[in-house]
Amino acid sequence: MYRYDEFDQKLVDERVAQFRGQVARRLSGELNEEEFKPLRLMNGLYLQLHAYMLRVAIPYGTLSSRQLKMLAHIARKYDKDYAHFTTRQNLQYNWPKLADVPDILADLATVEMHAIQTSGNCIRNVTSDHFAGAAADEVDDPRIWSEIIRQWSTFHPEFSYLPRKFKIAVTAAPKDRAAIKVHDIGIIIRRDPSGALAFDVYVGGGQGRTPLIGHLIGEGIAAADLLAYLEATMRVYNQYGRRDNLYKSRIKILVHQIGADEMRRQVAAEFAEVKQHGALALPQAEIDRINAYFLDPAFEKLAEEDLTAQRKTKAFAAWLDTNVAKHKAAGYAIVTVSLKPIGGIPGDANADQMDLVADLAQRLSFDEIRVSHEQNLVLAHVRQRDLFGLWQALDKANLATANYALITDIIACPGLDYCDLANARSINIAQALSQRFADLDRQRNIGELKLKISGCINACGHHHVGHIGILGVDKKGVEYYQISLGGSGAEDASVGEILGPAFGEADVPDAIEKLIDTYLAARQPGERFLDTYRRLGIQPFREKLYAAH
Amino acid sequence: MPLIKDNAFVENTFAHVADEETLPEGAIVVSLKRFQAEREMLLARNTPLGLRLTSDQSPEALGPDVYHFAVIELEFPKFKDGRGYSWARQLRQRMGYKGELRAVGEVLRDQWLFMHRVGIDAFEVRPGTRIEDFRAAMAEQTVFYQPASDRVRNVLDLRHSRPARIAAE
Amino acid sequence: MPQVLTANRLSDGEVVYLAPDGTWVEGIDAAQVVNDADAALATGQQAERDRKIVHAYLFDITPNHRPMKMREIIRAAGPTVRTDLGKQAR
Repeated sequence: MYRYDEFDQKLVDERVAQFRGQVARRLSGELNEEEFKPLRLMNGLYLQLHAYMLRVAIPYGTLSSRQLKMLAHIARKYDKDYAHFTTRQNLQYNWPKLADVPDILADLATVEMHAIQTSGNCIRNVTSDHFAGAAADEVDDPRIWSEIIRQWSTFHPEFSYLPRKFKIAVTAAPKDRAAIKVHDIGIIIRRDPSGALAFDVYVGGGQGRTPLIGHLIGEGIAAADLLAYLEATMRVYNQYGRRDNLYKSRIKILVHQIGADEMRRQVAAEFAEVKQHGALALPQAEIDRINAYFLDPAFEKLAEEDLTAQRKTKAFAAWLDTNVAKHKAAGYAIVTVSLKPIGGIPGDANADQMDLVADLAQRLSFDEIRVSHEQNLVLAHVRQRDLFGLWQALDKANLATANYALITDIIACPGLDYCDLANARSINIAQALSQRFADLDRQRNIGELKLKISGCINACGHHHVGHIGILGVDKKGVEYYQISLGGSGAEDASVGEILGPAFGEADVPDAIEKLIDTYLAARQPGERFLDTYRRLGIQPFREKLYAAH
Repeated sequence: MPLIKDNAFVENTFAHVADEETLPEGAIVVSLKRFQAEREMLLARNTPLGLRLTSDQSPEALGPDVYHFAVIELEFPKFKDGRGYSWARQLRQRMGYKGELRAVGEVLRDQWLFMHRVGIDAFEVRPGTRIEDFRAAMAEQTVFYQPASDRVRNVLDLRHSRPARIAAE
Repeated sequence: MPQVLTANRLSDGEVVYLAPDGTWVEGIDAAQVVNDADAALATGQQAERDRKIVHAYLFDITPNHRPMKMREIIRAAGPTVRTDLGKQAR
C-alpha cells in the first residue's frame, strides 16, 4: 500500500499545526462559529446531536494494521471505545472534545492518516473498490489512480470552496463494487484495444434529494491526461454550478440542467486549454512511483485448496459460502469481516475488535485491511488454508456473521440517534430487520439482497440504490419510513421507485417480510430479488403490501 | 479597507467609482457594466484603469481588453463563494493577465494562501488585520501537491527534480 | 407551549440547557422554562459571543418538562441504540 514520503508527511504535519492554531483562535474568540465552521469541516469535524464528531479519511478504503491499531487507540483514549465505519470509507468518532481534536490529528499523522477534506464543499475522500488488488476481474489496481487523485485534490486551492461537496469514486473492474455511477465523478478504468489504460469519466451521478445516475462525459481519457480532465470538469462546475440554492448546487443538477451534451462540450473546451498548458500532465515517473506501492504482495505459490473438504462445521461452511470471495492468486481468498452482527449497529466496531482485526491482518493478510462502502472490513489476501483459523478468531469476537450481501448485511447511516441532519432514526430499523431475518438458512434462501436505510433525504445510507431502500421521514414529530424498490449501486445502477405511503416504525419489519414473501413466491430459478422486481415491475409488490389498506 | 501586497500594507491608489458617480481624476476602478458602457472614453483616459468583477462575472468576455487593466478586482461576496478562484486561474493561465489581481469582499485569513496560489497578489483585508498574521498564514503550508498559478515548485516537481512550471508564463 | 433554551457547549459539544440562574446545565431537569423567547435567545447569543456555547435555540416541552420531539428526546438522553452512552448512562 501507499506510504508517505517526506512531502506527504510534512503536508499532514503542517495541517495539524494549522488546525491547532485554528482551534486556538476559535477558543480565544478570534474566530466566531460562522468563520470556524468551514475550517473545522474541512478537517472533518462536525457538531452533531450529542457532541462533536470527527470523520477520519481512509483513502480508498485501505488501512495497514498499524493504522487500524491507532484508530483503536484513539477510540480508547479520546472517545468511548468504539467508532463507526461509514458508507464513504471513512471512520467516525462520535464523542471527541474540541480541545482534543488537534492531538487526535497529531496521533493520526504519526500513522500517515488525517481528516483532511472529509467534509466541507471540497473534493472529499476518494473511494474505490474494496477488493482492489485482490479481485480477479480488475484491469489495474484502482488505488494507484485513487492515490494520484487524492494528492491532486488535497488542498486544491481552486476547488476548496465549491458550490457543494464533491465525491469521486474509482473502479477498474467490470463489476462495480464502488457505486461509481452515483458519484459526482465516477471513473471506470479499462484497457483500450492497444492495451493502454483508458479512463471513462461519469459525471453528475448522486443520491440525496435528487438521485441521478451519472452520464458518460469523458470517454477513453489517457492516463497522463486524467488530472487535466478532472481539473477541467471541476472548473466548469466551480464556475457554473448553482450557488443560490443548497439543494440544487451539486454538479448533478448542473449536468441535468444544461444537458450531458453541453456539459461534455464545456468540459472538452476547458480540457483542451488545461492540456495545452501542460502543467497537469502526469509524468510517467510519478505513475511508476505510485504503482510500485501497489504491486502484489509476495504471494506464495500455492495450489487451489479444496474448500469443500474444509467445511468442518455448518457455521463455518456458511461463512465460506458468503463471506469468502475468489482471489486472483491461487490458494488465496478475499474475506469479508462482517460488521453486521444480528441486531447490531451496522458499521460500528469497538476498540478490541479493531485491534483483533489488525492483528489478524498482520498475521494472515499481508498487513492490510480494507474498509468497504457497505460498512464491512475486508482481509484481502488470506491463504485458503488459514481460513478456518481466521474464522474461529473472528467468530469469537462476533465478527464472523455469515451474511455478506444478504438481507441482514444492511447499510444504515447513524440517523437521528447521532446525526444533526436526520429526520428519523435508522439504526433501530436496521436492528429490527436484522433480528426479523436472523435465520441464516432463510437469508441464504432469499439470496443477494441489498437493504439500505437512510434517516434523511441526504441519503448517506444509500437508500436510493438499495434493492430495498428505506427512508426515514418525520411526520408531525413521528418517525415514518418510506420504502422504495429496485435501486442498484452496481454496474447496472438504477434509482429505486417509491412503493407507496410510509410505514410507522413498528410496521416496517412486517412490510419488508411481505415484500420478501412476494418475491419468493414469484421468483424464477436463479433470480435475485432485484431480478424478479425488474421482470415484474413494482405493481405486484405494491398490491401485496397495500392490499389490506 | 487595508490593502496587502508583497507581504506588506500598501496604499490603495485606486478609487472605486460607483456606476452613477462622476469620474474623479487619477486611477479608478469601475464595474464591468460601466466599462462596457463607457469603454472608449475610459480607455482614452490617461490614468491607470481598474475593473471590478462580481463573483458571477466571467473574465472571459473581456477578451484582449484584459490588457488595458492595471488592476482587476475579484469580488468574494462571502468567503464561501469560491468562483473567484477559478476566475483568477483563468485570468492568469489562459488569458495571460499580468497586472494586479486583487481579492476584495470577505477576504479572510484562512483563504489568503489559496487565493495567493491561484494568482491573486493583492488582498483587501479587514480593518485591524495584523501583517504578522498575514505572513504567518502564508507560511502555514509549504507543501503543495498541484500546479497552480503561483511560483512554487510543487511536490511533483520536487519528487522528480524538475523546475516549477509557472502558469502565467 | 412551554419552551427551553438549548445549545452545545463549545469546548466539548455537550448538550446543555439554560438554567434559571443563567448558567448552562447538562440535565434538562434543571433547565429554565422560558417565558420570554426573545430575551432567552438574546441570552443565548450573548453566550455564543462569550464562547460558552454554539447554536442556541428553543424547543417545545410538555407540561411535565419533557421534550416533545424525538430529536430533543434523544439529545436529552443519548442514543436510543446505545443506552450505555450519553446522559442516560450517568
